[in-house]
Amino acid sequence: MALSDRGAAIATAPTRGDQLKHVALYPLDWLEERSGLVGGIKYFLFRKVPRDTSWFHTLGSATLTAFLVQAITGVVLAMYYKPDPETAYASIQFITNDLTLGWLVRGMHKWGASVFIILMFFHMARVFLFGAYKYPRELNWIIGVLLLAMGMLEGFTGYLLPWDQTAYWATVVGINLNGTAPVLGPFLAQFLSGGAEIGSDTLSKFYSLHMLVIPGAIIGLIVLHLYLVIRLGVTSPPWSDEAAGRDRGEPPPPKGGRRGLTQPKPRGANGQ
Amino acid sequence: MASRRIEERRAQHKRYKEDVEREGKPFFPYAMFHDTVMSLVVVCVIIGLACVWYFTAEGTEDPGWLGPHFTPEADPGTTDFVPRPDWFFYFLFYLLRIFKWPDTVVLGTVGVPNILLAIMIALPFIDLRRERRLSRRPVALVAAIIVVLAMGTLTYKGATAKEALGSELKQSVPHWAAVQGFEDNPDAVAGAEIFAQVGCANCHTYLGSGSSNLGAPDLSDVGASNRGADFFASYVTNPSQYGNNVMPPFAGLGEENLAKLGAFLDASKGPKG
Repeated sequence: MALSDRGAAIATAPTRGDQLKHVALYPLDWLEERSGLVGGIKYFLFRKVPRDTSWFHTLGSATLTAFLVQAITGVVLAMYYKPDPETAYASIQFITNDLTLGWLVRGMHKWGASVFIILMFFHMARVFLFGAYKYPRELNWIIGVLLLAMGMLEGFTGYLLPWDQTAYWATVVGINLNGTAPVLGPFLAQFLSGGAEIGSDTLSKFYSLHMLVIPGAIIGLIVLHLYLVIRLGVTSPPWSDEAAGRDRGEPPPPKGGRRGLTQPKPRGANGQ
Repeated sequence: MASRRIEERRAQHKRYKEDVEREGKPFFPYAMFHDTVMSLVVVCVIIGLACVWYFTAEGTEDPGWLGPHFTPEADPGTTDFVPRPDWFFYFLFYLLRIFKWPDTVVLGTVGVPNILLAIMIALPFIDLRRERRLSRRPVALVAAIIVVLAMGTLTYKGATAKEALGSELKQSVPHWAAVQGFEDNPDAVAGAEIFAQVGCANCHTYLGSGSSNLGAPDLSDVGASNRGADFFASYVTNPSQYGNNVMPPFAGLGEENLAKLGAFLDASKGPKG
């Protein structure tokens, strides 16, 4: 039995190249066998998208990039920031004036926030104008609205952290605004300010919300958002003649060669 | 009818999946190329903004092109600092000036934002047609234009809105004294100057000056009830002992100033005639 196996192995002796390939890919095979992750990533990368997707469809990933910039710069800031009224302002000054490239990290976080919010609005406008919130993508639209709300809450809670006059007084007004809400308002305002005056309790609460609670919620919602994007697919531009899912009776997609790097020749174009 | 619509849209999505499978392009490298370029642009824009902000401004003094590095350290004792939210809350900030009467302020703070949120969440259930071309979605198009114009206008107005500054308000004190008839009461006049300078008018209105950001009442005739200067001084010292948890305590002003402020408020019986 063992002998004949060895014989077969010699008969179809793998070349050196095959052996090297096997060794090189072994970690991937190991991972795939135990998790299926490799197949998942392959599916993600090589899944088909409508052939007429364009620059309009990059706003979502651009928003994700802005969020990642916020996450990375935020982690760095958290290493040096001190969420305490006594030291917060000094720590921001230290980050801005003394820490190597600290100004860049803080500047990117400060301005990345605005870019993130603007891109969310642009992305939302694109989805609205394309009618991409319609069946079966309703749920993903709702998740997007929640992400927008969470993003704005990040803006609100992060605004206090530098503990300068602008931050402090804008937050006083913000908390008082919450307080005007019927029924829940006073409780919310009481919880946020954590006492009669805005002080160390408020700052730690805002810090915790800003860097743990809301980002956690945002990451969870983004995962759901992307899952639904991959599962349902992205919509073609509504004006496209070759939109995926177009009503038949409309003209078929034009046949022909490649039109540049980003528009491959359609598979079925050879008269099949 | 409804079930036909459901069948139609299911069929369309099935067709979509088939079309994508047959005619589509793989995400990598085609769509990913676009995404990568766009992401790089985003990162460059963020770095660019950070650099412009940092290199054109200086500390707390020089705002540069994009604003100062920081304003002075937070000081709960100051009362003449004009609150300013981040730009994406300007629309809300300005809504409060529209709904400035105490009874309606809740519309601006809670009503309009939550209604907008509810409409956004409900959108896919309101607009049930399959049609996606804008030329055949006039209602959606008009709604989009209105929302963009409204948000743009509110944001612009919020950005350019000017709060009454203490130094400007102080010039109104003689006018107030004349209208209210407390010119002969030096304590009340001194109190009026304190009122103008310590930021009471950031939340309250007085004879048409100030703003009612938080639904705080107009104080033009607050003294009409004849509750006495001591009552007002005590109220302002710590409003929460009178059940007012919205207004912050102003004990930091000191007893002397509070007594004058109380005299001013008590003398404010409302414009004569």
